[in-house]
Amino acid sequence: MAMNPMEQFAVKPLIPLHIGGYDVSFTNQSLWMCIVIGAITLFMAMATSKRSLVPGRMQSMAEISYEFVANMIGTAAGEDGLRFFPFVFTLFMFVLFSNFLGLLPGSFTVTSQIVVTFALAAFVVAMVIVVGFIRHGIGFLKLFVPHAPWYLLILLIPIEFISFMTRPISLSVRLFANMLAGHTLLKVFASFVIALGGAGGILSLLSVAPFFLIVAITALELLVAFLQAYVFAILTCIYLNEGLHLHEHH
Amino acid sequence: MRKLGDRLDAFQQANEARNKPPPAQTSLSIAFRFSTEMVAALIVGGGIGYGIDWLAGTKPIFLIVFFVLGAAAGILNVIRAAKEINARIAAKKDGD
Repeated sequence: MAMNPMEQFAVKPLIPLHIGGYDVSFTNQSLWMCIVIGAITLFMAMATSKRSLVPGRMQSMAEISYEFVANMIGTAAGEDGLRFFPFVFTLFMFVLFSNFLGLLPGSFTVTSQIVVTFALAAFVVAMVIVVGFIRHGIGFLKLFVPHAPWYLLILLIPIEFISFMTRPISLSVRLFANMLAGHTLLKVFASFVIALGGAGGILSLLSVAPFFLIVAITALELLVAFLQAYVFAILTCIYLNEGLHLHEHH
Repeated sequence: MRKLGDRLDAFQQANEARNKPPPAQTSLSIAFRFSTEMVAALIVGGGIGYGIDWLAGTKPIFLIVFFVLGAAAGILNVIRAAKEINARIAAKKDGD
């Protein structure tokens, strides 16, 4: 009974599809992305369908998430950052729902694939660059020039540049690694329960211990799922803020 | 009517208490943040250096130079992240 804790992350084609030499199969990954988007759409549509003055359960959940993201943008990126509300809200909800739905037994965690998180992060950084150039023109490049004498700039500009380029990587690796680690841990402890339970005798009784640990880790994973979505969104806001206002580093 | 007003006030207060995230950053997430910032900077620095070397055929000079620069950028990132987290904690304390 060998259980591979990494098996849950395998991308399997459900509907094989090859176009022009490229593998564009509809995989379990694509399926769960569709489920995530469907769930968000369903949630928001149901929540806003009544539009009552006194919000019901669903409606207040939607309102809380709206206010939560709006507050986050307001504090991290300023008032004119609110123009990016649809973007940040979509991103936050997508990551949040992927993380939460991934916790369902038997499901697939979209955000445990670095391709997905890196695509999201690269999109965020590309957007910051575009916004920065639209707002400030060539002056956006001042972001890479700290206040320092010229002979230090030779050293500092490459450092600032590398520091900027790390963003898509640190943003994507953080989300991906958190999800990957948490789900692997759950699977490993789950296999302990089964292995100990099947061992017979006193060992079977011991299988209760990892079981309780799973319960605890699942609670922790719920927190991590939310926290990582929050961190992803707030860092997006912070980066957007730099693109919008060229904040000087102190 | 006043009773209703009182109840509304109480409800609002309870609501404010509940709506008070942003969630406390757990120390685990802070540690994770720092380590990813550092490692990512090293990877990017090394990657740029390797790329220049590959183009210019000067292995391994630029790899070494940019790896060091990457380390500096990583430290810079970590310091900035720490400052930002500190600022957020301070702002939260003010709000309370």
